[in-house]
Order: sequence, then structure tokens, then C-alpha cells
Amino acid sequence: MNGKDVALDESLAFRGEGLEKVYQTGETSVRALRGVDLAIPLGEMLVLLGPSGSGKSTLLNIIGGLDRPTSGRLFYRDTELTALDDRELTRFRRAQIGFIFQFYNLIPSLTAEENVRLVTDIANNPMEPRDALELVGLADRCDHYPAQLSGGEQQRVAVARAIAKRPGVLLCDEPTGALDSSTGVRVLETLERAHAELGTTVVIITHNVGIAVMAHRILHFRDGQIARVETNEHPVEPRQISW
Amino acid sequence: MKALDLKLARDLWRMRGQALAIALVLAAATATFVLSVGVHGSLVATRDAYYARSHFADVFATLKRAPRSIVARIADIPGVQRAEGNIIQYATLDFPGREEPIRALINSVDEFGRSRLNAITLRKGILPRPEHASDVVVDENFAKANGLGLGSTVAAQIYGRRQTLVIVGIGMAPNYVYALAPGDLVPDERRFGIFWMGRKALEAATDRREAINTLSLTLDRGASQAEVIRKVDSILAPYGGTGAYGREDHLSNAFLDSELKQLSAMTRIIPPIFLLVSTFLVYIVLGRMIRTEREQIGLIKAFGYSGWAIGWHYLKFALAVALLAIVLGSLAGIWMGQAMTRLYAEYYRFPFLTYRLSPPVFLAAGALAIGAAALGALGGVRSAMALQPAVAMSPPPPPVYRAGTVERLGQLAGFSALGHMIVRHVARWPGRSAITVLGVGLSMGLLFATMQFVDASKAMLDQFFARSQHQDLTVTFTEARNEHAIHALAQIPGVLRVEASRTIPVMLRLGARSKRTAIESADPASQLTARIDGTGQEVALPPAGLMLSRQLADQLRAKIGDPIEVELLGGRRTRSVQQLVRIVDEVVGARAYAGQGTLERIARDAAPADAVLLRIDPQARTRILTRLKDMPVVLGVTERQAALEKFTEVIDSNILTMISFYIAFAAAIAVGVVYNSARILFSERAHELATLRVLGYLNSEVAIVLLGEIALLVVLALPLGCMLGYAMAQLMIAMFSSDLFRLPYAATRASYGFAAVVVLSAALATALLVARRVMKLDMVRVLKARE
Repeated sequence: MNGKDVALDESLAFRGEGLEKVYQTGETSVRALRGVDLAIPLGEMLVLLGPSGSGKSTLLNIIGGLDRPTSGRLFYRDTELTALDDRELTRFRRAQIGFIFQFYNLIPSLTAEENVRLVTDIANNPMEPRDALELVGLADRCDHYPAQLSGGEQQRVAVARAIAKRPGVLLCDEPTGALDSSTGVRVLETLERAHAELGTTVVIITHNVGIAVMAHRILHFRDGQIARVETNEHPVEPRQISW
Repeated sequence: MKALDLKLARDLWRMRGQALAIALVLAAATATFVLSVGVHGSLVATRDAYYARSHFADVFATLKRAPRSIVARIADIPGVQRAEGNIIQYATLDFPGREEPIRALINSVDEFGRSRLNAITLRKGILPRPEHASDVVVDENFAKANGLGLGSTVAAQIYGRRQTLVIVGIGMAPNYVYALAPGDLVPDERRFGIFWMGRKALEAATDRREAINTLSLTLDRGASQAEVIRKVDSILAPYGGTGAYGREDHLSNAFLDSELKQLSAMTRIIPPIFLLVSTFLVYIVLGRMIRTEREQIGLIKAFGYSGWAIGWHYLKFALAVALLAIVLGSLAGIWMGQAMTRLYAEYYRFPFLTYRLSPPVFLAAGALAIGAAALGALGGVRSAMALQPAVAMSPPPPPVYRAGTVERLGQLAGFSALGHMIVRHVARWPGRSAITVLGVGLSMGLLFATMQFVDASKAMLDQFFARSQHQDLTVTFTEARNEHAIHALAQIPGVLRVEASRTIPVMLRLGARSKRTAIESADPASQLTARIDGTGQEVALPPAGLMLSRQLADQLRAKIGDPIEVELLGGRRTRSVQQLVRIVDEVVGARAYAGQGTLERIARDAAPADAVLLRIDPQARTRILTRLKDMPVVLGVTERQAALEKFTEVIDSNILTMISFYIAFAAAIAVGVVYNSARILFSERAHELATLRVLGYLNSEVAIVLLGEIALLVVLALPLGCMLGYAMAQLMIAMFSSDLFRLPYAATRASYGFAAVVVLSAALATALLVARRVMKLDMVRVLKARE
């Protein structure tokens, strides 16, 4: 579905056309995205694969409303993200997007539950923070501070924080990058569970080809472009993955 | 330039805001030090040179009248180097078109140039010539204020006689550096002048041929002043001597001393506050810098740099800030010192008063600034030196937060997650939070203590003029008069009330302590005078016994009930013992009071009035003043309103200078502290703040985390500021009080409010400046990096 059709299609979460991103660093400019068209259906589990600097993170940041393309148009359902100002983009992130990062980005001064509350405090129809932690299997660690949790546990708190607002989209940038295989699998399981139980659209960036087998589709990036699209008829469950 | 020095230069540039904020506070320390020590030094040097050059006397005495031959007897006292006798005489002047009373104090001067002591420094013209009875020298400030020059004539009423004086010289003398008219609190150069007249001419004008009424003497090195004074007093007793006294009791010199005391008090209070805050700021800023550069330090050490090289590198950062502060502070100090010296030149009559730049002052100021910065750097530098390369290059352990007391309070208060972030961060860094609170508190305290000074001066004004004096005019007589003269004044149309005022010069003794003063009394039914104590209550004169002001009681170490020996001076040397029955907290002077009956028993006669107080119909003012000028018995007239206005004017002009300096200083502290705290806070939390933005928090909501913590600390600082301000104000009052004044503690709520508003505004503006950085947070970049 790497088509050019950007007409209103209610089954799509994101539709993008001719997305370009040029970073000006000093006297040289870097073209991070070179005319990317894409369509991501609602409820899809999508993996972006590619080497460093291939543009996948740039795309993730743009569809997450953290960054803007230099040119091109991007829609989330019927909202044109490329037409929003800073404040509106913030509101979009607040309402629709759950982020998960490689380095967790938990607030060290807040307990696990409070880190989740950070999001539920400002969301429209959030879960109870404890329910979200229950969903990632950390109900008994609610009152622990990040420094008192292992890396895998911290990442699962980050997942709980991302899903607690019942987001339309979960964007994960190398979610297992800092974790060992078995811990990483547990994190992927919680992502998969959120996707299955909440019907959330999930986009995962990874270097790790092993992870790609759990996705419906895989977009291969190279030099700021989508080099190849791979459709996976039979996604594998995370617990069958290892690396 | 070495690579490490290049890093230093770039670090300084990168952190220029913070470095400048610290430098400003440290510059304030340097500036106040240079200002107060510099002005103090200039004033002392000028005074000493002037006193030495013009032979300012060591001992002074006034008496009713004695033959000139007495001077030789005084000069024969062992230890006396030189003695000179003169006449001093108050006179009223008549300027065409000026109805207000203008007074002069005329001093005799040897017209053959044989006077040595308290020598006149001539600015222009010549000394009075022999055979020129109308020649006078006038003091420079009076001449300037009244547009008088050489050759100007002045109509004077001297000792009941009209005489026209011709100005032949303009100058000044060391015994009138601070020339205060009786009853005034500040010099009024328009209404009171010092004149010098030839000896023969003044003798003739005052019927004191070959007689004197004042003596000045210098002492041999090592002579006992107390012994000489005792002998002078015994010689002068039959001539109405009112007791000899040393320089310390000489009015002009005492005022100068009290000013010097205030300056040195300022040196001891103000610069240390700034130094303390600067040390703390260097400590927190450098500490943070070293924590963030941990990995770089490890790397540099791994390359083979020694711990000392690293320590020196960071110490140089602090020293660079100190150098900037020394330059800025010295320039500001010189500028303020010049402004303050100009102010002094208005009130103190010196032939020369320049702000001298003395190298030791700058060296000392520089040493203090460098010391404060180095002390602040010590902790950080030591930790940088101690870091092991291998440990340093691995990331620091994550900050550990734990639930504490603050936590439980938070639970009770139902904080939001953001609220928890703020409170826990404060609790996580208690030292730094305390420094911020203390710094802002000191800033407010300093401002408050300054404002309280204004309040205290106004309260003093209110107590001295508004509450204890209700007369419009004070009329002094050429010599003490009886009821007849008082009655004559009451007859003048427009005079509404007349009250006699009696003052007798006495020596009070208790044990080994003695004090030369005067006992004042008033009619029991007096409506025009009142004595107000520290609480603002009116205190009645005791029917029997003595009442002393707190100052005087303290000097004599007297308690209520103590028997005070009272020796009458200036005539019959009678002695009696009076019980101290009351101590009154007064603001001006060291004074003694007694009821009329007691006064008469001490004086052993129906003490005549030496002055009367008048309340008049304002419509009749001009007419009354004109009548008084023509009355031969009248020595001088003081207008209460004029004295009050002059004092207010002095306070206002001084205050404007002082307050604007101190607002700038207090703001420098508040800005320096808040800016650095906010910048450190921002750098520590940039990662978290970016995370919040990613999670969908708006800029304004994210800024709350930053501003909330600053606000919390500033709010905590306000009550501390009130307490510190109160303590500083009390300290300043104690250090500034002298024999002449005792400032009351009279802070108004407006002063607390003003101090709080200035500090809050400075803090808010600074915090907003830093909060703007939230807008520029690069979410993507911050999140890519591990903290």
C-alpha cells in the first residue's frame, strides 16, 4: 500500500505524501527523508527497518508530531498534521500518541505509578494508572522509583505510561535496544498485548531484523526512502522470538 | 593557548549568563567594600590632614566671662602646649527680602595674625584687619548658599546692637566642619553661618573688653587630657566655666566621628553578605559544571593530565569570574564613592574633600573577591581532582529519590505528578535549595534593613519634631531673662502662647563616671513641649528627681533609684544629689530632665528663662519675625518648620541615593541567585522537561515544573527574608547609634512589602528569562541522548 492515494480513507491512521526532511547543519544540508509516501492502516503493527541514518527515526518523529517535514503533507485520520501549529501538535500528541524510547525516559523523581499518572492527568479517557501497570505485569512495583527498577521493568513502566491514555498510536523507537533478549521479549509481549486488547496502531523502529517477524508489514528504509515493503501474512508471537 | 585553556575560555563564553550573574553579586561585594572603605579612608585622611594643618585644638571650654589674663594661667597648666582665648557670640542677621530668621555664630580672631589654633583656611580675601571693625570672614557654605562674596555687606544684630559687617574673606575652620545651629539636627547653610571678626571689634561689640568666653588648648604629647580638664575646670569655675571637654565631645568632631562609625559599620555588614552569597553561587554552579563534565574529566585524566591540572582548570573558572567582578565592582565602587563624597562635601566643610583612590583598598577588595570565589570553588575542585578516570567515564549513578517527610506532606496535599516532581527535586538537593532560599532571603533582608533605615529616620523626625515640639518659634535671649521679658513677648499681636524653657549646664556624676550635659525643664502645664519615649508615649517630667535619656543613663551606667551627683556649672558651683527616677528612650542626644521645682533646688534660685517657645498665628508670622529682630534682648530665633523641612530634605536626598544603590544591590543578589538556580535546574531537568513535552504537555505546563520550584523556594525565602531583615536592621541600629542619635526600630509594613515586591519582581523576571528556554527545547535531540 505504498500508493499515492491520499484521499480520505477511513481505514487509515496515517497518510503521507511526498514527505521530505532536510536538516541544515552549518554549511551542509542533510536530506533525511527524500519524498516518502505512506499509508498506515488503523490497527496495523508496522516495523520500520533500516541502518542508522536511513530516515526511519525522522519519519517516526514526524508522524508522532515531534518534528515537521520540510515539505509534503501528512494526515492522521482526517487531521492534516502538517497544517497544525506547535500548540495543536502538542494537543495531538497528548490525545493520540504513546511514545516508547530506547532509554525509557522515565522521570526519576516519580514512582512507577506517578510516571503513569503524568499521562493520565492530562488525557481524556485514560485507564487507572494501576490498571496500566497491571497490564505490563508491574502491579506490585507501583511505588518503586525508576532507580529501584531493572532496565526491563523501567521499559515496561514506559510502555504502561504510553498505553495508559488509550492512545490511537504507539510509536516505539528501538524499544528493546538497551535490553537483553529475554527482557526485550517481555517488553514486546506487553506491546503486542496492548495492540491486541486496545486495537492500537503500533509502529516500531528497530535495527533488529528478528523483531520484524511480529509485524503485519515491514518498511525497509535506505537513504531517506522506503526501499522495500514486506507484508507478513503470519505474524509471529513475541515469545517465539529471540536474538 | 593551551587546549585546556581554550576549553576554559569556551566554557566561560558558553556559561556567560551564569558567570555574569555571579560576577554581579561579587561585584556588589567589591563595590560596597571599595565604597565604604574608600570613603572612610578619604574622610579620615582629609580630617587628619585638615586638623593637623589648621591646629584643631584638643580641649575646649566655654565660660561666662573671664579676663584675658586667664589664658596665661591656663597655658601654665602642665601638659598644655598652647592656649588661646576668644569670644564667641550668636547674632541675628538681616537680609533684605528675607523674613525668616538667619543666625550667625561670630568668633573672634586675632587681627594681627597671632591666632594659631582652629586656624581659618581662607578661600578668598583676607583676615579681618586691625582698625577695621566691620571686617568679617564668612564660612564658605553660608556665603555660597546666600550669594555672598567679597565686599558684600551684611546687617547684623550683635549683642543688642545693629552693625553692618563687610565681608573681606571667605573661609572655614576645623572646629566647624559640621556647623550646626542650636536646636537643629542637620546643618542649614542658608540660615546659619559661621563668622570671624577681629578680636578688638568683637570685644567692643559685646562689651567684653580684654575678656574672653571660650578657650581652646592643645596638649603636649603624652599629657593626660583628664588631668588638664580637671585643672582647667578648677581655674574657670569662678568665671562661669561650663566644663572643659575633649575632641570626643566637640559637636563638629562628634558628628564626623559618628559618620565614620557608620561607614565602618557598613563595611562590616554589607560586603560580607555579598561575599557569602557569591561563595555559595560559585559552589553550586561549579559543582554542577563538574558533575556534567564528569566524563570529560575522566577522559582528560586518561590522557595523562594530573588531578592538580584539572583542579587548577576549574579553579581558574572561579578566578576569571572573580576578576570580572573586581573590575566591575571597582568601577562601580569608585563611581558611588565619588557620589557619596560629593554628598559629604555638602554637609561637611572641608577645604578639600576628594575621593582618594588608595591602592591597598583595591588590593583588599580584590583579595576578598578572589578568596570568596576560591572558597566556593573548593568543594567542586576537590571532587574533580579526586575523580578516578575509569569511574568518571562511566555515567554517574542515577539520582535516587526516596519518599520522605516532604513526600507524606505531598500525599496529604494531593499533589499532581508535576507537584511531586517539584517537591522531590527540592528535597533531593537540600543544600542547593537552602542556598537559593538563603540567597533570596538575604537579598530581601538587605533591602528591608535599608528601608527600615528610612523608616527609622522618619520616626526620629516624627518623635523629635512632630511629637515633642509644638512651638512655631524658639526665641533665645542674650542672657537669661525673668518673667518680664516673657510677658513682653506675649504682648506681640499674633503670639498665641508663650512658654519659658530653662536649661542649666551641669556635670552629672555616678561613681567614677561623669558626664557634662544640661538639665532641661519646662512648665508643668507645658503645651509646647513633650518628651516622647521609644513606644511613642508622652512622658511627664517627674515632680522630684532626675529623668535621663537612655543614652545618658547608659553612659553613666545608672539605674533607676541611683543617686546622681549634680554639679551646677557656669556660675555658682553648687552640688546636690538627685535620685534617678526615670529613664526615657529618646532618639536624639544624651539629655537630662527635671521638673521646675527640682531645677530651682539645683540652681538655688528661681531659674530664669534662657529661651521661650512661641506658638503664633501663621498669618502674623512675618510681622512677628520682624518685631523679634528689632528686640535687643533677642539673641536668635529658630523656626521649627524650617528645621523640619531642612531635615526632611536631607533625608530625602540621602535616601534617594542610598535606596537606589541598595535596590540595585538587593536585585543583584536576587537575580544572581535565581538565575543560577534556574539555569542549573533547567540543565538538570532538560531531559525530563523534553519528555513531558513529548508526552503531550504544553510549553506553559512544562514551564510550571521549572517556575514552580523557583517559586516554592522564593516563597520559602520571604519569611526568612523578614527575619534576616529584622536582624540586620537591629544590627545596623546598634552599630549606627552614637551619642548624637539613637535610631528607633520603626519598620513599617510597607517596607516589608516593598522589599518583598522588589525581590519577587527580580526573581520572577529572571525565572521567566530562563523559562523561555523551555520553548526552545529540542525534544528529538534531548531524547536521543542518554541523560
